[in-house]
Amino acid sequence: MQSIKDTIHEVIFAVLPVAVVVFILQFTLIWLPMEVFLQFLVGLVMVTVGLILFFVGVHLGLLPIGEMIGSALPNTGKASLVVLFGFLMGFVVTVAEPDVRVLATQIDLVSQGEISKNLLIFVVALGVAIFVGLAMLRIILNIPINYILIIGYGLIFILAAFTPPHFIPISFDAGGVTTGPMTVPFILALGVGVARVLGGQSASADGFGLVALASIGPVLAVMLLGVIFG
Amino acid sequence: MRDIKIFYGFSHVLAEVAFALIPLSILFVFFQIFYLKLSKQKLINLAVGVVLTFIGLALFLQGVHVGFMPVGEQMGSVLGNLPNKWILIVIGFVLGFVATFAEPAVRILNYEVEKVSSGYIPQQLMLYTLSIGVAVSIALSMGRIIYGIPLWYFLVPGYLIALILIRFSTQTFVAIAFDSGGVATGPMTVTFVLAMAIGVASAVEGRDPLLDGFGMISLVALSPILSVLILGLLYGRKEKEIERECELEAEVNSNNYKKGNSQKDS
Repeated sequence: MQSIKDTIHEVIFAVLPVAVVVFILQFTLIWLPMEVFLQFLVGLVMVTVGLILFFVGVHLGLLPIGEMIGSALPNTGKASLVVLFGFLMGFVVTVAEPDVRVLATQIDLVSQGEISKNLLIFVVALGVAIFVGLAMLRIILNIPINYILIIGYGLIFILAAFTPPHFIPISFDAGGVTTGPMTVPFILALGVGVARVLGGQSASADGFGLVALASIGPVLAVMLLGVIFG
Repeated sequence: MRDIKIFYGFSHVLAEVAFALIPLSILFVFFQIFYLKLSKQKLINLAVGVVLTFIGLALFLQGVHVGFMPVGEQMGSVLGNLPNKWILIVIGFVLGFVATFAEPAVRILNYEVEKVSSGYIPQQLMLYTLSIGVAVSIALSMGRIIYGIPLWYFLVPGYLIALILIRFSTQTFVAIAFDSGGVATGPMTVTFVLAMAIGVASAVEGRDPLLDGFGMISLVALSPILSVLILGLLYGRKEKEIERECELEAEVNSNNYKKGNSQKDS
């Protein structure tokens, strides 16, 4: 019960301050018709209730599932399997990530369907998947995270030179939203679980850094999509 | 009043959420059969969680669809048509600050950083640094839209500084810094503030919403990375000095301590 109370508290504090500023703006500068503003309030209530239920559900169901799979993974004994399941986990979690969906919807709307929502979600999920797989490999082979970060961002900046300009902001935003309320706890649980069994001494330092890698993948993936789209 | 949309298009959202959660469920069933073999009672608990997630995600997306996205865009376009456009920069700053200052995920990060830096980076300091960082990011994004500045001009120096700072930080700090990129992009930023930015970009003449409206999240995500790295560097120096003193002392006392310490460093 205490955790549900905490969740309610958390969501309200995440949502309310911005809502208050919007209220002030509406009645000083914006003056949208009352009907439209009521529509905002409807959205506010639904988003708040939705987020509370979502977080409670994630704590009850999805997070334990992530932890269990994370700690079961190394028991499969094979490094190749750990990498493969890391890949699959990265994919399925990103597909379920609310922030990714919202961004994809907005891009779909603004581009008037040219960059479709489902294609974008698929590409972003693939990018996360590949980099979570790589992150598993990194933990197994004990490669310092700095190398991968520098190579990853280096690649991003090289690829950016060949990407059509209107794909650049979208790709970087795609990297930002993959670190949403679903992915972070899930992937952290996975990483800490795997690092504990495989990484040896520096388990905590190995577990960290996964989220960082997970946000390089989608940037590269969406840029590649832009290169292909032309 | 009768035009208020609440469950308009909800069936699409339900289908979407189902498709979002099915892959994860399949993967779990696979693990359940081959590796986990959980008891029935545990499975029921998990199922309750998944159902709650389903309902929550559906309500959240529906609220974004009928409320935040359309109204955010309209508000943005009203603001984009104001004669004094610089006020958008102020509004962006305020939105970024309040969104981060109260965000619970940010507090968790601050606590973590305080712990890892063994108290050298106090939570309050982190909180203000981060909130101002995000505030500046959103203010810059609004400025970008008003004056049509390419995202590059901010991203390249931002990431360059980050990559240079990596060289001077410890592994743990680098990992935390890059992991923290996500905490600042709270639920309101991606849904409402972004919609507002898109609205502004479509209202200001000569701006392409696709090119100028997006990019805000990437700037917001960059600010915690820079905040953690810079604070880590400033306070890390102090920490290292004290560590060195400790090491000297330890050398006198015993060699074992030093061994433990260098292991921690590696």
